[in-house]
Amino acid sequence: MMNLHGVDIYIWTPQTPDLPKEFGKFKLILISNRGPRVYPPPAPDMDLLDWPRARFLSDTVVTDEEVDALVHHLTGLGWRWTKCQKLFIKDGVNQFSQPY
Amino acid sequence: MAHQVCLIRGDGVGPELVAAVETVFEAAKVSVDWIEVEAGLKCVEAGKPIVPEETIAKIKEIGVGLKAPMTTPIGKGSVSPNVTLRKKLDLYACVRPVKQLPGVPTPFDGLDIVIFRENTEDLYAQIEYMATEHVAHSVKIISDFGSERICRAAFEYARKNGRKRVVGVHKANIMKIADGLFLNVFKKVATEYPEIESWDNIVDNQCMQLVTKWKLYDVLVMPNLYGDIVSDLAAGMMGGLGVAPGANYGVGCALFEAVHGSAPKYTGMNKVNPTALLLSATLMLEHLGELDARRDVEGALEETLKKGVKTYDLGGDATTSGFADAIASELRG
Repeated sequence: MMNLHGVDIYIWTPQTPDLPKEFGKFKLILISNRGPRVYPPPAPDMDLLDWPRARFLSDTVVTDEEVDALVHHLTGLGWRWTKCQKLFIKDGVNQFSQPY
Repeated sequence: MAHQVCLIRGDGVGPELVAAVETVFEAAKVSVDWIEVEAGLKCVEAGKPIVPEETIAKIKEIGVGLKAPMTTPIGKGSVSPNVTLRKKLDLYACVRPVKQLPGVPTPFDGLDIVIFRENTEDLYAQIEYMATEHVAHSVKIISDFGSERICRAAFEYARKNGRKRVVGVHKANIMKIADGLFLNVFKKVATEYPEIESWDNIVDNQCMQLVTKWKLYDVLVMPNLYGDIVSDLAAGMMGGLGVAPGANYGVGCALFEAVHGSAPKYTGMNKVNPTALLLSATLMLEHLGELDARRDVEGALEETLKKGVKTYDLGGDATTSGFADAIASELRG
């Protein structure tokens, strides 16, 4: 059974975005750019693309509506996102990769 | 004044190969102040990250490193120390020269190609998901920025080294957007180097042409995944991974490495061919401006091979250290 625990949100911005660290059940776990983690520090000294990925995860199962609310909240804050990918956990195993 | 170089002794046979390089460098009177840094399996076993932040910071500070093969632990959550170093140091250009060596059997007479592999993007961003119970999804990232700097690196290399042709390799007939972006950037950069002949090939056709018309090719440039595969194909054409050198360049930082694995089953047997790491070290000598030393070491290596001193992979019976000693003897004249 794939249980929904979070979402990766890809944002169109030239810099590492200053996003809410928490929203509802979600915590901002990391931001990556081109693969490597750039938040939380230390960030590698590298050139960034205008497509950072923010990972929001919850310790408990979340609903589609809660993911919608998070995305809607970021939109309301003025962040332009281009892609979202739900994050599932199955039998205690993350169904998504970790950044470098 | 000695050159400062960060040194990763590696896992498995890595330390034996490094010892061989040290033997040869000493005979060549190359003055290097090796600064040892940690990475690889030993770090994981000690409860540290596979590439500690101190290692990243030190290599960035010194700007040059030599890396022996390392082992990627098998199991969930393990990451490749090699890819981690490339990503965290933003070593965007993987350069793999493949050239016929005397005494190393190959049907590809006159082989002399340099492959430029983009090192930081493509599917190697390692962004993957199970989208449903039955569908896996990997994200392939190709940017104009990443494509431009690797294409420019290839053309600059060609210009600096008197190479005549640069070929861009892609699969834009299928991945029209991602590889199409790479191809468009390649063509745009090529216009800035009118003295260098250039064209593009689809990667599958390129593989076929490499083994049928290898003399036609000079410098190849391609995205990460194709570069990974084609450079190993080319290493096989040269005589195998045991003789194929590699270099990774970023802005203000370069890391030189043998491209083969750590061969743990041969650990401590003094058996594995040190040529790949030694040739990688000679690329490092060039990077450090030690052109005479590079020529001397490569000349001594070629003389040694011509005399039939070879390790087991090339049909000989020389040990790792014995092979290094033979090269050192050539250097001492």
